[in-house]
Amino acid sequence: MIVEIGAFALILSLILSVLQTGASALARIRRSPVLAAVGEGAAIGAFGVLAVSFAALVYAFVVSDFSVANVTANSHTAKPLLYRIGGAWGSHEGSMLMWCLALTGFGALLAGYGRGLTSALKAVAVATQGALGIAFLAYTVFASNPFWRLSQPPVEGRSLNPLLQDPALLLHPPFLYVGYVGLSVVFSLAVAALVEGRADAAWARWIRPWTLAAWAGLTVGITLGAYWAYYELGWGGWWFWDPVENASFMPWLIATALLHSAVVTERRGALPGWTIFLALGGYTFSMLGAFLVRSGVLTSVHAFAVDPTRGVLLLTILGVTSGLGFALFAWRAPAMARGGLFAPISRESALVLNNILLAAATATVLLGTLYPLIREAIAGEAISVGPPFFHLTFTPLMFLLLILLPAGPLLAWKRADAGAALQRLWVAALLAAAAGAATLALVQPLSLFGAAGMALGVWLIVGSLTEVAERIRLFKVPGAEVLRRLGGLPRGTWGMTLAHAGLGVFVFGAVVETTWKSETSEVLAQGQRLSVAGYVLVLEDVAPVLGPNYEAEQATIRAFAPDGSLVCVAQPERRLYSAGGQTTSEVAICPRGLSHLYAVLGERRAAADGSPIWLITGYWNPWALLIFLGPGLMALGGVVSLTDRRLRLAAGRRATPSPAAPAQPVSEPA
Amino acid sequence: MIVFWIAVGVMSAAVAGLILRRAARAAAGGGDADSTLPLYQRQLSEIEDLAERGLIAEDERRSAHAEAARRLLSAADAAGPAWTAAKTARPMIVALAVVAPVLALGLYLGIGSPGYRDQPYADRLDRWRAAPPTQLDAPQMAAVLRSVTSERPDDPEPYRFLAIAEMASGDPGAATRALREALRLAPDRADLWESLGEALMVTAEGEVTPQSAAAFQRALEKDPQAATARFHLARGRIEAGEVEAGLAEWRALLADLPAADPRRPVLQAAMADVANGPRQPSIAPETVGAPEIAAMVEGLAARLAAEPDDPEGWVRLVRSYAVLGDAARRDAALAQARARYADNPQILTQLAQAAAAEPM
Repeated sequence: MIVEIGAFALILSLILSVLQTGASALARIRRSPVLAAVGEGAAIGAFGVLAVSFAALVYAFVVSDFSVANVTANSHTAKPLLYRIGGAWGSHEGSMLMWCLALTGFGALLAGYGRGLTSALKAVAVATQGALGIAFLAYTVFASNPFWRLSQPPVEGRSLNPLLQDPALLLHPPFLYVGYVGLSVVFSLAVAALVEGRADAAWARWIRPWTLAAWAGLTVGITLGAYWAYYELGWGGWWFWDPVENASFMPWLIATALLHSAVVTERRGALPGWTIFLALGGYTFSMLGAFLVRSGVLTSVHAFAVDPTRGVLLLTILGVTSGLGFALFAWRAPAMARGGLFAPISRESALVLNNILLAAATATVLLGTLYPLIREAIAGEAISVGPPFFHLTFTPLMFLLLILLPAGPLLAWKRADAGAALQRLWVAALLAAAAGAATLALVQPLSLFGAAGMALGVWLIVGSLTEVAERIRLFKVPGAEVLRRLGGLPRGTWGMTLAHAGLGVFVFGAVVETTWKSETSEVLAQGQRLSVAGYVLVLEDVAPVLGPNYEAEQATIRAFAPDGSLVCVAQPERRLYSAGGQTTSEVAICPRGLSHLYAVLGERRAAADGSPIWLITGYWNPWALLIFLGPGLMALGGVVSLTDRRLRLAAGRRATPSPAAPAQPVSEPA
Repeated sequence: MIVFWIAVGVMSAAVAGLILRRAARAAAGGGDADSTLPLYQRQLSEIEDLAERGLIAEDERRSAHAEAARRLLSAADAAGPAWTAAKTARPMIVALAVVAPVLALGLYLGIGSPGYRDQPYADRLDRWRAAPPTQLDAPQMAAVLRSVTSERPDDPEPYRFLAIAEMASGDPGAATRALREALRLAPDRADLWESLGEALMVTAEGEVTPQSAAAFQRALEKDPQAATARFHLARGRIEAGEVEAGLAEWRALLADLPAADPRRPVLQAAMADVANGPRQPSIAPETVGAPEIAAMVEGLAARLAAEPDDPEGWVRLVRSYAVLGDAARRDAALAQARARYADNPQILTQLAQAAAAEPM
């Protein structure tokens, strides 16, 4: 009965979302706190029953109930428990259910914890969040129901794409959806601001935690996806400018821009219209991502659902939702009060420049993603826009952004002295130039791009630390005072520094890996060797191994360093999943400090004398670890910032006036 | 069904209770003041806090303070009247909280599958195991045999049956895996090597590949008379162009087969095909289902009736009946075999073990 309980709970969640929207909207019109409370209760209830529904679907996957069509299509009894559970969101229907779960979850958080919001703003936001929920829940119930049953259940399931049976990919969708759907709250708050005609500093502060949470989730989700591509696809790469990757990258770029423009609105009350525009844009790009990935309009590993009706429905949801949002914007935004003024050289201007560059970068990614689709629709010929396009358009924009980045936090609000800010960065500039020059002089093969990247990485990391050093007046005041100031730095500052330095760490990894990686592919018999970047890989043996739901050939490869010492014994596999007939490659990675020695077992062939030989590929990926560590630091920065507000409130309450300063006004509790 | 209705009731009551409780609290709490002001007050105190810690300069503090203070004042001016809980129709709220679950139930009854039980795999497997084998189709039989193999991992026989069932369900890959397991346990059985060769052959769409040829060779090492292996190896030679050599091997095989062997006409037809033209002999892969498994066991019984001096055959027959759950025939075969080998304690032990095999 558990499956049917889940089916009922899903429908109850839809009805409660309708109640949430209706009651909250009516509450705003009649200025009734009681109706608002009904809307909030419905929002929390919608999440609660949808959690029951999701649990029921997981249960059906765990016990392999093949009377559920979705389980039959995406699971198999031989699949390990962990991936049976993951199968619950590995399918189209299940992932839309997870999307709805995140949507109602954020709605419940907004209803339950949005106490600082004004009643009217909150009521409109809860109503809007409910309407977003109705759209996706109705889609799930009527067009993509994960609880549809089969009257004749088959004996076995049809399994899940084995490429997706992977721990990183188990966690990738949940994080990504927290990010995608977290932006829905920002969208709802933007709609509320437009309805109320109020996008002031307080509003900007209210959207910050939601933006930060969504941004951090997206960062982790995208990084997990890149890491998965890196070690599962076995091509040695980690980012392919695949439309599916771009689909998650565009909301991230917009969320990044929004984080920065919201700071301007919060501190100076300026740019309210632009901040609202970005807030609407973030979730629009999230839905665009869902449409691109889920409609089957792209043909790639991710697009398992090839079903035009669903695509049309998703496109309709996207068009209606964001169309209404932007129409409201066009109507209401011109009437909004403009905030504080600022000079061309100021923190505000730096953040505006950041936004212009990020928006331009988003536009190039959007163009590169959609152009092939539009071209195919109009001219009927399929073209692909690959990395060269993005290297010519996206990379220069990012280089410019990153060069300007360290100066931003050093500029004062309103009117700044650019010369003074640059003067403070001389240490960073000197170190960056030294790093670039040393790279040019010492590293072979010579690469201008590589040297520029090294300089940029140092510039970003040292530049970010310079800002901290300035604020704690390092070397300018006695050590005890420096420590006191260090302890007093707000978490938001630490978060920003971590994120900016993390970007520098990522630049190191990305530039060094792409510039100096090397690759050797050879056909080897047992006992033969190949060498890559001075390392020697000896193919000792290839033996069959039997997994729980696959058969594999497992190679044993001894890897020796240039000095002849044994680095590791790598055991890459080539797996055949008989339930679906797919072959996958399990890469073996030997970490060498920050770098990776990466071995892939290719297909078996026959030598001239009939003895077996294998295609072995060895990659040397220098500093590859930093590619994933950098975004990890950035996400950590987001989480640290997220803890700031609350902690500063607590600190304000507990503040004990120091003898030197006048007594502090104790801040009001929220 | 009762569990379903309890769950529906509990969920509906919980949701209605949640909504009503929040509404009651809001009604009791009365109005709600504009919460923007505390936020601006907090912003002001934060500016002072940062200045106190020396993190912002005095002139920056002054201008930021002035701006935040202006915002506080304008927000205080702009604040509208507080919301009041005055006119709220209580019956309407209660109706909303009750109607929502009722609507959901109505919609569910319309588009859901009310009353459809869960069908966990383990339960279905138990049902199949309890049912007579002849009522199962091949995939169900394979599922049952898979669970038998996991319970008796050291017995090659369930693996052999599993391979037959997997072949019948159209999954030669799974059959191959099962046969490899069986051979790991009984590497000296020529019939298993022959089956493996056939499974590999079916995987390769009927072609005698090096892998299947190797399996047939192993079968011949164990039993030089293994007819199936000899047949397919010769067929492979014919397909590879060595028509005369292959035909010669077939003729030798035909001479070795007893006159009553049912495979003789198949072999003769194949020889005629080759002799009549360039067309290659087409050997359709045999499909074997549950009835075929029963038929195979019957074949074994018939052979033992004709040539009873085959202790291993008797052991296998007893075990087959035991595995198929046919207690009456198992006991009959066991009694016959015991009488025949009463003076051979080793075979008697094997027979006892075979008879104790769990039915699937």
